[in-house]
Amino acid sequence: MAQNINPFYSSQSTPSKAKEEKQNVPKDNHAVSKRLQKELMVLMMSTEKGVSAFPDGENLFKWIGTITGPLDTVYAGLTYKLTLEFPHSYPYSAPIVRFATPCFHPNIDTVGNICLDILKDKWSALYDVRTILLSIQSLLGEPNNESPLNPQAAELWNDQTKYKKHLTEEYHRVLNRTQQDS
Amino acid sequence: MMAVVDNDQKSIFSQIEFAFPILNQQLQTKCTDDQFAKIVNDIKVLNIAPRVDRLVFQSIEQFIRSNVAPVFWKEFTNVTEEEYGFERFKNAVDGLYSNLSEFLPLLKRLQVLQAQCEIAKYLGHSLSNVLGRFNLTVRSTLLSQLPFGHETIIKQFYKIAFNVFCNTDSSIHGNLLGDGPQSQCGGCKYELENCQCQLIVFMFHETNRKLIELELLERLVGNVLTLLIHIRIESHVRKSCEGTFDVSQLELLENWLETVVMNWLTRIYSGGSSKSVALSQPIREAISKFKQKLLHFLYETYTKIRIEQLFNIIIEYPDSQPAIDDLRICLERTDLRKVLVETLQEALKTRLLHPGVNTPDILTAYIAAIKALRQLDPSGVLLETVTEPVKVYLRSREDTVRCVISGLLDDSPSDLADELIKGEYLQLDEGSVEEEDENWEKWLPDPVDADPCKSTQRRMSDIISMLVNVYGSQDLFVNEYRTLLADRLLSQLNYHTEREIRHLELLKRRFGENQLHYCEVMLKDVYDSKRIDGNIQSDTSYTLEEQYFLTSALILSAQFWPPFKEEWKLQLPKNVQEQLAKYVKAFEALKGNRTLCWKPHLGNVHLEIELKERKFDINVTPIHATIILHFQDKNEWAVEELAEVMHAPATVIRRKITFWVSQGLLKETTTDVFVLQEENAVKNRSVTESIVEEEEVESAMASASDQREEELQVFWSYIVGMLTNLDSMPLDRIHQMLKMFASQGPGAVECGLPELRHFLDRKVREHQLLLSGGLYRLPKS
Repeated sequence: MAQNINPFYSSQSTPSKAKEEKQNVPKDNHAVSKRLQKELMVLMMSTEKGVSAFPDGENLFKWIGTITGPLDTVYAGLTYKLTLEFPHSYPYSAPIVRFATPCFHPNIDTVGNICLDILKDKWSALYDVRTILLSIQSLLGEPNNESPLNPQAAELWNDQTKYKKHLTEEYHRVLNRTQQDS
Repeated sequence: MMAVVDNDQKSIFSQIEFAFPILNQQLQTKCTDDQFAKIVNDIKVLNIAPRVDRLVFQSIEQFIRSNVAPVFWKEFTNVTEEEYGFERFKNAVDGLYSNLSEFLPLLKRLQVLQAQCEIAKYLGHSLSNVLGRFNLTVRSTLLSQLPFGHETIIKQFYKIAFNVFCNTDSSIHGNLLGDGPQSQCGGCKYELENCQCQLIVFMFHETNRKLIELELLERLVGNVLTLLIHIRIESHVRKSCEGTFDVSQLELLENWLETVVMNWLTRIYSGGSSKSVALSQPIREAISKFKQKLLHFLYETYTKIRIEQLFNIIIEYPDSQPAIDDLRICLERTDLRKVLVETLQEALKTRLLHPGVNTPDILTAYIAAIKALRQLDPSGVLLETVTEPVKVYLRSREDTVRCVISGLLDDSPSDLADELIKGEYLQLDEGSVEEEDENWEKWLPDPVDADPCKSTQRRMSDIISMLVNVYGSQDLFVNEYRTLLADRLLSQLNYHTEREIRHLELLKRRFGENQLHYCEVMLKDVYDSKRIDGNIQSDTSYTLEEQYFLTSALILSAQFWPPFKEEWKLQLPKNVQEQLAKYVKAFEALKGNRTLCWKPHLGNVHLEIELKERKFDINVTPIHATIILHFQDKNEWAVEELAEVMHAPATVIRRKITFWVSQGLLKETTTDVFVLQEENAVKNRSVTESIVEEEEVESAMASASDQREEELQVFWSYIVGMLTNLDSMPLDRIHQMLKMFASQGPGAVECGLPELRHFLDRKVREHQLLLSGGLYRLPKS
């Protein structure tokens, strides 16, 4: 493969077989958009504070979500951005959810991958964007330390004051960096 | 020129000087006719006649310039009082006339010279008329010395004469304005006993005759004459246009011009006689030219005055029809369309389009304008240009649609209701207009000031279409009608719908079946309610149970009715709720898997209230009834307590409770605490009766603007959503996003860019939004 090809395009175009499959699997793209549209409406109309999401640009299949840390936890007052990518087979397969803002958490790795059962094997078509975001929000306060993606965080979790200190430091470091970037 | 002069020539030259002493600036000649004939003969022999002729005329001109003209103009300087002006002008003309008369023998001799020597072939035809040449010389010489301000005296002269003339004329016609005994003559301002009118008229005509003879009339006094007549015409037109619009003035004015003004003019030109037959051809031509000009001036004056009054004329239409007709004729003959448009627009702006005028009044005026301007200009161009500001203004008024619709449905005769009954199909601007019945032979191009973009439609659309076009879509009107219909149905609360059905049918002819489908369902709801209610009332399982009170219901299909205004849900008393539950049960039994959802704040309650010595029989709203029902259990209630049991805001309770206070049933003992009045303690009952508060009728429906507000609220949650996640965005991107994600599916509402900007700006003002560098974002909470 030539090096001066945008890897984004090339990776999409190379496996033509996979592309065909992708087109075949979702029987009805329209139905998916419709479902997403409806979810958006429900989300917009809900009065829930602390979780929110909106399509990123014209693409209805890629959203940006925002959650604020639940009160009475170390995450209170912190705001995190997430990306949600919906496959064309949604809602029969789970969306890919990642943290866009780096998050220091036992079940979230350094690039933002989340270890949450309902996003993996426990996914059900009954879940929607709102419930996903709420689950992630509650995950912040109640981590599953049995299977950590970030062992350091899992270890530190027991000492809440130390954990909070580290978390806030991390958070503001990232925040400052992004502000400088922009 | 004559460098060498021999004896012969010298002698002939002195002879010529002898024959024409004017060459030495003298008028008196001692030369006898015989001598003159001999000299002429000599001239003829020498063939110097043209030269002599020219010399003589040069001398005449010089003589007039140095002797006659200064004398004449002397009278015109040092302008004095008006009374002397007449005299002085007359003297000047007399003097001039007598001075010039002295030239007559000389002119006669010149004529002889010309005739003898056949001078015409040298001079050409135009110079062969001695008298004409002389007059031309006089005129040019005189006018070359025209002094400044000479018109003042001329004006004074003609003004007095004109006054006298008008006075005698009006007394001949027997319509003297002042009917009491006058000490002054209306014409000459002298005492009646020694009225100078006759003398003035005589002198006036004499002077004019002289001026005509000298061919000076038009040159010298034409301007003044025109000016005077113009003033006269204007004042006359203004007088006849005053106040009334219901008589056509045009013919009367034309008549007046023909008889009064032209009569005077003819007399001036003829030097006294009013018979135009006796006049010579050129004078007659001059008069008819003058008349043409005056007629045009008359039209112009009349049109201008009518244009000034046009707003009033429009308001009084159709009584002012004759004035409109006049104006239409005049507009064709003058060039005042532009003035009309500007003046009328200005008048509309200052008199109609400001907050002090009620919307119905604006609509009435607009309708009158539509009708009147149609009459004025059948092509509709005037209407279109003039009423554009009205349209724009009406669009900015919130209650326009409501006023139009209620006008349409008015039972009392109104313009709009009449229009509706005419029942034509609605035509919108965009709609294609069928032109099949138009006759191409009668086609006329649009006037020059027409907007070429929209040429065909304008003459077709009727008044209702024009009003609907104010907003450009009929949806708004249909929605408003739906709201109004809902209000009417809910306020009368009986099952009678005949009237509404008639209106609906009429509207259907206009707006089409589809648009009014919802309204039809609403009417059917009412009709069905009657049937269902009848069924329930006769249902034994319902009637067998003990009934707390008689209940009837209007059963509405929620889908089809406009949203109700219900900010809080009224909690009805328990026994009422139980009774309503029974009704619901009966309904469910009847209708299978359907149920009823009560709107407790709507409806009507018939109460019989028995107190110790009084009995009330009264119809009130559910809120009023609930309040008084609570007093059945407990004599004393505080507003706060009532608010709690009724689930209603205290402010509402406080407002509603005044009704019962005014009825003398309740009394406010301390602030916000009310007690039931078992006995009629208030002696001056009549007083309380009279101050029964006029309960203002509120609409049960959410108004159009409320609905819009609600729709915008939906947009707002989307905007908050997108700004929470996407940080900051410019206006057009927000707009685009809303269009993509928020305005989809059935019943989607649009939000235009200007409206969105307006909305967002409001949010910025309310500090719910920040705007920096063209980007909107949420404030940090």
